[in-house]
Amino acid sequence: MYISYNWLKQYINLPDSIKADEVARNLTMSTVEVESVHHKGKHLENIVVGKVLLVEKHPNADKLKVCEVDVGTDKLKIVCGGSNVREGMLCAVAKLGAKVKWHGEGESIEMKEAEIRGVKSYGMICASTEIGLGEMFPLKEEKEILDLSAMKLAVGKPLAEALSLNEVVLEIDNKSMTNRPDLWGHYGMAREVAAVFKKDLKNYEVKDVSAGSTVKIKVKVEDEKLCPRYMAVVIEGIKIEPSPAWLAQKIHAIGLRPINNIVDITNYIMYDLGEPMHAFDAARLKGIRSKDKGVNILVKRAKDGEKFRTLDGAEHQLDSSMLVIANDEKSVALAGIMGGEESEISNDTTTIIFEAANFDAATIRKASVKLGLRTDSSARFEKALDPNLCEQALAKAVELTLQLCTGAKVASKVVDDKKFHLYQGPIELPWEFLYKKIGVQIDKKEVLAILERLGFELKEKKDCLVVTIPTWRATKDISIPEDLVEEVARIYGYNNIPVQLPVFPITPPIANSQRILEWKLRDIFSQGLGYSEVYNYSFVSGKQIKNLGDDAGLYLELDNPISDERPYLRRHIVGGLIENVVQNIERFPTVKLFEIGKKFTVEAAGPRARFNGDELLPQQGNWLIAIYADKKDANPYWQMRQAAQLVADNLNLELKYQPKKKLMPWQHPTRSAELVYKDKVIGLASEITPQIAKNFGLSVRAGILGINIDQLVETGALNVSPNYQIISAFPEVMRDLAFVVKKSVTHDEIVWALHNIDHLLKKVELFDVYEGATIGDEYKSMAYRFTFSHTERTLKSEEVDKAMEKVRQVIEKLGGEVRV
Amino acid sequence: MQNQLHQLKEEALLAIKAAKDKVDLEELENKFLGRKNGELTNLMKGLKDLEVEARKIAGQLANDVKNMIEAALNEKKGELSSGEWAMELEKERVDVTAPALPAVERGHLHPITQVLEEMNGVARAMGFIVEDGPDLDSDYYCFEALNIPTTHPARDSQDTFYIKNHPQWCMRPHVSNMQVRLMQKYGAPLRIAYPGRVFRNEATDASHEHTFYQYESLVVDKDMNIGHLIGIIKELLRGLYQTDVEVRLRPGFFPFVEPGFEMDMKCLICGGKGCGACKHSGWVETLGCGLIHPRVVEIAGFDPKVWHGLAFGMGLTRLAMQKYGIHDIRLLMGGDLRFLKQF
Repeated sequence: MYISYNWLKQYINLPDSIKADEVARNLTMSTVEVESVHHKGKHLENIVVGKVLLVEKHPNADKLKVCEVDVGTDKLKIVCGGSNVREGMLCAVAKLGAKVKWHGEGESIEMKEAEIRGVKSYGMICASTEIGLGEMFPLKEEKEILDLSAMKLAVGKPLAEALSLNEVVLEIDNKSMTNRPDLWGHYGMAREVAAVFKKDLKNYEVKDVSAGSTVKIKVKVEDEKLCPRYMAVVIEGIKIEPSPAWLAQKIHAIGLRPINNIVDITNYIMYDLGEPMHAFDAARLKGIRSKDKGVNILVKRAKDGEKFRTLDGAEHQLDSSMLVIANDEKSVALAGIMGGEESEISNDTTTIIFEAANFDAATIRKASVKLGLRTDSSARFEKALDPNLCEQALAKAVELTLQLCTGAKVASKVVDDKKFHLYQGPIELPWEFLYKKIGVQIDKKEVLAILERLGFELKEKKDCLVVTIPTWRATKDISIPEDLVEEVARIYGYNNIPVQLPVFPITPPIANSQRILEWKLRDIFSQGLGYSEVYNYSFVSGKQIKNLGDDAGLYLELDNPISDERPYLRRHIVGGLIENVVQNIERFPTVKLFEIGKKFTVEAAGPRARFNGDELLPQQGNWLIAIYADKKDANPYWQMRQAAQLVADNLNLELKYQPKKKLMPWQHPTRSAELVYKDKVIGLASEITPQIAKNFGLSVRAGILGINIDQLVETGALNVSPNYQIISAFPEVMRDLAFVVKKSVTHDEIVWALHNIDHLLKKVELFDVYEGATIGDEYKSMAYRFTFSHTERTLKSEEVDKAMEKVRQVIEKLGGEVRV
Repeated sequence: MQNQLHQLKEEALLAIKAAKDKVDLEELENKFLGRKNGELTNLMKGLKDLEVEARKIAGQLANDVKNMIEAALNEKKGELSSGEWAMELEKERVDVTAPALPAVERGHLHPITQVLEEMNGVARAMGFIVEDGPDLDSDYYCFEALNIPTTHPARDSQDTFYIKNHPQWCMRPHVSNMQVRLMQKYGAPLRIAYPGRVFRNEATDASHEHTFYQYESLVVDKDMNIGHLIGIIKELLRGLYQTDVEVRLRPGFFPFVEPGFEMDMKCLICGGKGCGACKHSGWVETLGCGLIHPRVVEIAGFDPKVWHGLAFGMGLTRLAMQKYGIHDIRLLMGGDLRFLKQF
């Protein structure tokens, strides 16, 4: 919103020593954010009204003149090429230092003393376009200079001042005053400035309306909750004209275009008091019945499906959640948002109905959002305006109308249908509470002065203040003592409050296992394994789900996705990572990525929706998923297996790996292992099935590793210490054994079969696997290293031989044939 | 005999000193100490012809001379071989300016993760628990419990993603959904931080994302005032930037705090003079904060007359972008390794 500094000063006496920039700064620090201060006349600095005293021919140029110009303080010699320059004319003179645009084009340049064809020139007589006034004074001829003679301006006066262009406008960030319905007009803002600068606010003066009786107006409000107040009055004898200069200038200053006197009056009041008004053309409305001169106004809900054309020409389809203003026949305005095209003020309007009303904030906001129609009016109503404003606004509108249209007269009584109650307290504000919240003892007199300037009525009781809330702050803004703390503190100045540090016990914070584990995993994957971390959206596309071979019906879906592109909540993190591989594999021969994130499973139990409530939110499991693809690696499973082992080793976990039986479509049926810790599945090492990879457009084999962080935390994986063993003083004995066995026999079976067969056998390590034609398609050769030791003595060869014989027997039992 | 021995010693030491290589040395060793025809050996053969007393003295001397010659030979051998080593090692010279091949690539942590962990480090050191929470939460925890009425614009589907067929569920538009959850979980007094992913229904462009990260913290205690709020945040920022920061407080409106503030930090790049980074204002909008609204304290299960709280939150995504000068927010969720490998 734009606030005109001059307009603001109508309501407070601010000394000239206080500049607009200071007001802006203090408002920002105490009230609302002033985004910028526009000095509208600034480009006219050093440009003054001049009077041409003498015009002589230039000795060296036919088309140039040498003039003597009176600029008040001085008489300047200026060379001028203007076709219309003549003695006695008033003109705009750019003195040295002024900024002008040559012939109205290009960058602004600074005026300097110049020599033009051998004659010195000490300024410039300007064309309107050369000083940015081309719109106000259009050129009639190319070389014409601006002729101000008709305006009878004082010679030497700064041009901006002479033409009333030195407007300073504060631009307020609307978002910073959503909670302040009282600040949406100049008078409310002036109240704040008065409080901040400790000045008195002038009363808002309005003349009483003396009612007429030619027209009988009746208002019926269907639901007073939606329209707590509706005031209206009929004025006849209107003549639609352009607004006078003072009004047009104000309308310009707030960034609107002047339209005509009546529309400008309603806009002026909206920006003055913050109360949006509307003016109907009574005749076009066909509202006034000819036989009894009666007008009926109805405030009601729209009909479902009702069509309505607003005065911007757009047609809207309404529904019964929206409020309309109607006459006996039909809707004539969208309440609080915009008037109808049909009853719009036109140049032929002679009788008008002024409306000043109050509407329910939520109703207006919902309708405005639904219709996509945000107006200055709806922006104000949706903040919950003070219904008392209607009275002042309507009276002011009548006063201005009678002042601007000499033939106008009030033709009806003022109707006022109202039913509202504001909570004005009083609130008790204990002094101790105030000081405790702010953290400093502010002088009592200062507190009283601050609150009084803001319009609060105060009574002092023992130990506390009894505060009555002014109506303009009572709609929703202020209701509890904490609200008053804010009022006092912000005007006192937040930055005058001494900075303090609280005293806390030195208890260390509770550690969050999930976060710690996540951080360890991040470290292992990024530093240990060379994976890069990626963040993907929680929202996925239907296409991704289809590519994964999954059923979109199982997925949670957004009710209002931004586009149809990603409407689902991911049930699996892997889809995004496969897409990341596709995106990068052409540029990087190896792609190693991981993501730590949440996946959403609607059928599983998640956190409670309310404290102690029964309703549970969907499970939002925390997982780490890593993906690996290398153009040269056709069996990436082993990379994932290695990564899983490194994770286990880092956390001192003994993992078991078992073939995964229940597979998701993207999990390779013969290359997928569940990672098991303490009988709980804590993850998966696998390869993406080539068919699924192909769906994504990926022809390279990709491995995936998944770690269920929540499950791992639950199993206590974070607190496992390394299993320390005394280092034996006696040498270990190692024996190798290779054997051929059917492919179906797994490493795990072999290791478990050898488990505890001899107390001297300490370690069983696989070091080679061979498959090839020489040993037959169904067979593989496996080579193991067996380590034997005793903590108290050196082993004898025969002892080890005996133990190895046991090993041999176990292998043979499994169908293995020892190779010699 | 003694003179002969002295002479031999002088001669041998000189010759050894002058030797040029190992071959010379071997010859000299043979010449003086050779078992069969060595000059010292030959001299010592004459010992047996001497008187007992003279033999004793000469024998001792001969032994000393032998030791001295051997020591000189060894020393010279060492000298000669270290020179040879140098020549040998010269042949092994590598180009130390060349990179090791094959290159070992390190992994990379996401820039937001890095900034997040810096923040967590400071928060933990200041005694804050660091927590996580649900991304999908109930309307209750996202709004109702935070004193945000049903008519508040934040509840519009314009701003918040809702879940189909579950009108009471939404994707949290702020991490403030954790405020009441955590107060209920841990009780008071409490110091806790709860960074996380948040969602807003807005179209993406270079500076807007529907998915981004926030870092919020709260403190509940018996005595909490505006001065404390400024003090705690200043310390946190000082921990993060490792330098004293100047802050200023302005009014700001958030329904779950009263009073509410916007906090600006004096631009660390220009020191407040005004530059591109602070849009020439000298101040950078850093966080939103306030004293927790008594209604929220009450909903969380505490007596607002006894317990007072403060909360402050900042945009983690924006912090990461500022820190690294990232110009396009979409890169953060984009999965492009050319981007990720830079961090």
